[in-house]
Amino acid sequence: MNIVVVGGGSGGTLSANLLAKQLTNEIRSGQGSVYLVSESKQHIFQPGYLHVAFKGREPTELIRKERALVNRDVNLLEEPAERIDLKGQTVTLASGSQLPYEHLIIATGSIANPRAIPGLSEASLNFHTSPEESRKIWDAIQQFDGGHVVVAIAGVPHKCPPSPNEAAFLVDDYFRQRRIRGKVKLTFVTPYPRSYPAEPMSRVVEPRFQKRGIEVVTFFNVESVDPAKREIYSLEGGSMSYDLLLAVPPHRGADIVLKSGIGDADGWIKTDKNTMRISGHENAYAVGDATDIPISKTGVTAHLESITATNNIISAIRRKGELHKYNGRIHCPFEMGSGRAAFVIGSYDMPVKVVQPTRIRYAMKKAFAKFYWRTLSGNWDWLFEAYFGKTRTVERT
Amino acid sequence: MATSGTRVKRTTVVDSRGTMCPGPITDLFKAYRNAKVGDVIELWATDPAAKSDTEAWAKRSGNEIVAAIDEKDHIRIQVRIVKKGR
Repeated sequence: MNIVVVGGGSGGTLSANLLAKQLTNEIRSGQGSVYLVSESKQHIFQPGYLHVAFKGREPTELIRKERALVNRDVNLLEEPAERIDLKGQTVTLASGSQLPYEHLIIATGSIANPRAIPGLSEASLNFHTSPEESRKIWDAIQQFDGGHVVVAIAGVPHKCPPSPNEAAFLVDDYFRQRRIRGKVKLTFVTPYPRSYPAEPMSRVVEPRFQKRGIEVVTFFNVESVDPAKREIYSLEGGSMSYDLLLAVPPHRGADIVLKSGIGDADGWIKTDKNTMRISGHENAYAVGDATDIPISKTGVTAHLESITATNNIISAIRRKGELHKYNGRIHCPFEMGSGRAAFVIGSYDMPVKVVQPTRIRYAMKKAFAKFYWRTLSGNWDWLFEAYFGKTRTVERT
Repeated sequence: MATSGTRVKRTTVVDSRGTMCPGPITDLFKAYRNAKVGDVIELWATDPAAKSDTEAWAKRSGNEIVAAIDEKDHIRIQVRIVKKGR
């Protein structure tokens, strides 16, 4: 019995570890294998990009070796996957070798793609593509002495919905600490109707942006950027000049999803939002950013979806007759500057609610960041369940 | 039938039923990015904010709400794209 997990990010690493933990006897007795295919030998804590960009944190602090995070009963293959054949139940690796599977989890994430908007990659800096790119923002704001800073959502969907707002709060903090905030005009540009897409949290953000003098421009879908003129243009016909552009690029699914023809035009995999099964495939699952599920693309959702997917695989292997269903719980940390943070909390059946930023919540966000590496082991899910409460239901089949 | 040089106007149905804010408006924007002037985007939504958000966006962007039709369990909002880009 072969189980293949493709993708070595949060969802893939956790999924492989959870499966190996539950199938230890089968693996050690040679009755089965759990393969984790990771194109990178490094694992990056992506939420840390913000602090690299706006607090000068060292990029190396966000990186660990993938091998050090993987259960010893997982067969880690550190090479790219070339093709996923859902009908043939085979994953082909870049080396040409083939991995047939009985059960599959795709956790290939999303790609921030500045090149999707003409001029954007030349004109803007971003905190979504890599620690090194995030570091360029830190270098740029240190040299910035005044002018118009624009923080823009340049495409939807994107990873970590609060991150653009967080960037605006943190860059405001930074210029205040340097005592040059009076020389900086700060504008937040969003395609959405309000400062945060979910209205209840917008009610929390809006007065804080106003108090800090952060101007909000809504309904601005970035069409293109002219780096020479330092001008942004919107699909709606608007334009805006800038001196420093910090933009969240549009995201798409992973190359392998597009190459394998198993996603939509943007590379998102059609996935059942409850069972995490890939549409039309009983034994193949997708978790995390890779799916087309209309909820936040964050590590927490990837984590909770991985628990659901792996439980369904174990149920199938052990013929337990259980179907686990994720309830869409989201729980995104939301830093609002001045050492305060809130959380964006909701589920499929529970609209996002108002959560005020506090210092305690900021401490919780920081604690989670330190704890992140341990959560990948799958040994701490009792703590997740104690904290989040019920995030899935179990049906008898 | 379209003659040479003219383009058939498209109606694109965007099914956002079951998604909550900002799902429908996000889906609308994705369709808007791919649309051309004259096309109609028909947004299907169950989220109650979809109608007011779409109306506010259309008003601001100069696009036209053709109809907002209440079905049994969702709303169909038809938007004609009359303005896009500079």
